Amino acid sequence: MAPDGAEYTAIREITFEIPRGEFVSIVGPTGCGKSTVLNLAAGLIFPDRGTITIFEKNLSGINCYAAYQFQQDGILPWKTAEDNVMLGLQIRRVPVAKARAQARNWLSKVGLSGFENRYPHQLSGGMRKRVALAQSLIVEPEILLMDEPFSALDQQTREFMEDDLLSICAEYKKTVLFVTHDLEEAIALSDRVLLFSAGAGSRLIGDYRVDIPRPREVADIRVNPSFTAIYGAIWESLRGEVMKAYARK
Amino acid sequence: MRGSRRSVLTAGQAWIFVLIIGLWEVLTAAGWIDPFFFSRPSLIAVRFYKWVTSGTVYPHIYMTTVETLLAFAAGSLLGVLFGLLFARVPMLARLFDPYIKIANALPRIALAPIFTLWFGLGILSKVAFGVTLVFFIVFFNTYRGVREVDPTIFNNARMLGANERDLFRHVFLPSAMSWILASLHTSVGMALVGAVVGEYLGAAKVLGYLIAQAEGVFDTTGVFTGLAVLSCFVLIIDLIVTLVEKWLLKWKPEIS
Repeated sequence: MAPDGAEYTAIREITFEIPRGEFVSIVGPTGCGKSTVLNLAAGLIFPDRGTITIFEKNLSGINCYAAYQFQQDGILPWKTAEDNVMLGLQIRRVPVAKARAQARNWLSKVGLSGFENRYPHQLSGGMRKRVALAQSLIVEPEILLMDEPFSALDQQTREFMEDDLLSICAEYKKTVLFVTHDLEEAIALSDRVLLFSAGAGSRLIGDYRVDIPRPREVADIRVNPSFTAIYGAIWESLRGEVMKAYARK
Repeated sequence: MRGSRRSVLTAGQAWIFVLIIGLWEVLTAAGWIDPFFFSRPSLIAVRFYKWVTSGTVYPHIYMTTVETLLAFAAGSLLGVLFGLLFARVPMLARLFDPYIKIANALPRIALAPIFTLWFGLGILSKVAFGVTLVFFIVFFNTYRGVREVDPTIFNNARMLGANERDLFRHVFLPSAMSWILASLHTSVGMALVGAVVGEYLGAAKVLGYLIAQAEGVFDTTGVFTGLAVLSCFVLIIDLIVTLVEKWLLKWKPEIS
């Protein structure tokens, strides 16, 4: 639905599959329905036509295998870092002492030891993202849905976060669906990059495999020759879609 | 606020007090205004002192405090419950919308005699009256607080597996709390108004009664002294509210 109440079809006839443990990014011009795909996979919204299948089962409510990293802060401003991280366990009725101990452990894993009792407004943007990440990971989700989670961060903080995400994914074998408008980021992190056409009624127009060996380091990857090759190939198509998206405005 | 700025402000506030009271005293002493109708600050101070030292005023203050707190607690509780219910079940909100508007617009003072009739001269009629005043303030603020929860925070909690009860505890109540607290100063004041107006209409041991009784015998000094006691009472309650607010909203960044 568009803001004026008119019907708006964000995406149309998109089919793809993500094998367990794969890191897949979606890129495309503004307004191509990237976030819609994430919300569908999360079970926050439902498609007018078609189905979402998670581990052989049709999705008919909140996707309980998935954690969602939102573009804006999703952490609760009235809870301290520690209380935020332990929220998922509290909801699962884990005893408070145990939940608290685990939360501290996760905070130290994301490099926030000593910040347990800070409120979100007392943390930097990067720190808040780390709290959000720990909050998602503590419930041990199999799937991570990420909606441009690092887009508001400065370049250095961003690279740190990307490296952390890569090592977490390597350690815990997560399946990740990552939405970004930044092609470099998509290639650096992913096993596969999906390209969406300009909206409305966006379609899947490209599916590129990224054959850069892991473990990777985001800063080094840009000088890798296969990176340049893939970047060139995807950008060729992406540029056309970006132009179309601009022309429609 | 810096210390020096604050002390300047306090001095200014004190000066306004001195100016008004001084003017009042001088004008009555000079005979420009009739102390029979307006009393005199010096007479009020003497009476105030007498009431406080003899202890006659304390039972009245005690009763008024109890009534205010009960009205405030019951009104807030009902307001939060209904605010939450209506915010989460939009059908109910739409269904009852005209009736809530009518009930809120009703001049509550007209209800006071009826409440005395229904609930008697005791504490219940005053509390009931206070509740009708407090309820709507808290109700509307809770409703608004819940409706204006950041959708990202709401969805985040849902993704973490929160059911309706978890959402209430971790998301809706804390989010609405900043709205409810913003209205706390008003709603505590309203609870007090409810108590005093109720007392005014019929009671034997409360501040409103004290004022009404003085009025009955054209004792303006008694009326103003009663009002002075009420003013002190309000200032103390407001201070307590400010402290509670600071404690409950410690997660909020301070706006300078």
